[in-house]
Amino acid sequence: MNENKFMTVFKQNAIWLVFIAEIAIFAYFNPKFLSVPNIVNISRQVSYYGIASIGMTFVILIAGIDLSIGSIIALVNVVCAYLMMNMGWNMWLAILVSILMAILIGVLNGWMVASIGIPAIIATFASQTIFRGCAYLLSGGLPIPGVVLEHPTFGFFARWALNRWDIFKSMGQVGLIPICAIIMVICFAAGSFILNKSYFGRYFYAIGGNEEASELSGIRVNKMKYLIYALSGFFAGLAGIVLLSRSGSAQSTAAIGFEFEVITCVVLGGVSVAGGIGRMSGVVAGVLIIGSLKSGMIMMNVSEYTQMVVQGLVLAVAVGIDCFSKKRQAS
Amino acid sequence: MYEISHLLKEYFAELDPLRRREILDSLPADDDTEFLRALYASRYSDHENKGRKNVDWWLWRCICLQILYGRGRFLRTFRNREVAGIIGELFMNDSHHTFLYHEYRNTARRYLSTCNSANYASRMMGFRQASDEEKVIRACQDIWQMSAGIAKSAGVEAEMHLWVESFRDELYEYSPVCREEYERLNK
Repeated sequence: MNENKFMTVFKQNAIWLVFIAEIAIFAYFNPKFLSVPNIVNISRQVSYYGIASIGMTFVILIAGIDLSIGSIIALVNVVCAYLMMNMGWNMWLAILVSILMAILIGVLNGWMVASIGIPAIIATFASQTIFRGCAYLLSGGLPIPGVVLEHPTFGFFARWALNRWDIFKSMGQVGLIPICAIIMVICFAAGSFILNKSYFGRYFYAIGGNEEASELSGIRVNKMKYLIYALSGFFAGLAGIVLLSRSGSAQSTAAIGFEFEVITCVVLGGVSVAGGIGRMSGVVAGVLIIGSLKSGMIMMNVSEYTQMVVQGLVLAVAVGIDCFSKKRQAS
Repeated sequence: MYEISHLLKEYFAELDPLRRREILDSLPADDDTEFLRALYASRYSDHENKGRKNVDWWLWRCICLQILYGRGRFLRTFRNREVAGIIGELFMNDSHHTFLYHEYRNTARRYLSTCNSANYASRMMGFRQASDEEKVIRACQDIWQMSAGIAKSAGVEAEMHLWVESFRDELYEYSPVCREEYERLNK
């Protein structure tokens, strides 16, 4: 392997080296960081923003942004819990309606961006405010407690498997792996398939790279934007369900500032804010880095406010590196 | 090299598919025109049968080549297989070098014509528009990636020789800065 090829491989996988270095540092300062319960806990924590980051990856790939995902999560939480607890709906029906609502919010975002031409940051910021308000209105600002979701996606499978093998010790885990982490892995696999193996993925890259050329080459750019924002809404909705299943209580204040964590994961994973560049494997690394960083800081008794400062710095550095490399290419 | 008649010059200079069709229809019926018709049919057909009109299939394949250039090393086998497919689709193995050279240049020119749009090469989710100079540099990078870059990376320089040459020549005419940038990228 010559020097150039080595550098290319190194650059493409540098994010994983950062992840390993981070793990090593936290493990050095606190050996319990690498304990099985902590790893299980990290995988549980990262699951819902891992799921949401898939939709955000698609959006950022077309040089857009979705600031409404935190509010979608809160609204899905509240609507699903409201339908189940206050109206007595069946769990599956409540989940289905909640996720459909999340997709519709995504379609609304797509309509504002693609058809009306509102800049994505403004359109989705408006959605963020509107739907956070809806969540407050529906819940009256109060939590809806006592929601029991039997890990919806795998509920049937888990119940079936529980009766057969001892390895399935509890409803929340398959062996040592939390079910929400399994859902995240499946979503990442699906996201990776869409990006690398489907024509839609190719369209996402094309639109992010050169929108006008994409239009001339036959891609229906506006329709694609609808689809991408709808997908972002879908993954945010799914993340909301996973969060609800974890917390057992719906809160209209859930996931405030969540979109910035997700954007940090995605940009840290090498997805360019200019669009057209990025890989799902990088996003996985970004999610793991942020999850480990949060867990490591908690274990080192770093205050919540300091954690916010660190996360903000990570976002600034990640975007800064992206902008700097673009500037260097252009100069 | 690659000299053509006046009428053909007009045909290859035109970017609008409908106008090109008109010129093509006015050409005398012979073997060369038949080949040009085959090229036209291949280029402006909806190969995916999605009911779209005036699709520039070759432009799409240019974009695909650029995306394939950016693919990670772990997917190289799949990538190289797709590049080989595109080489066949774009007549790169054909012997009508003169016509192909000009058709490829026309494709490159059509791509470059999109590089002046407001949101091309913009930064920060479209909030910061690129300067003219930045757009030219980015266009050079795009053209290099979809021609010499992918040919080198996939090890098909011989097969893509005409494609690379025509894209390079078109780029050199696009802006005086392009030659320097192209040569820098080629190193």
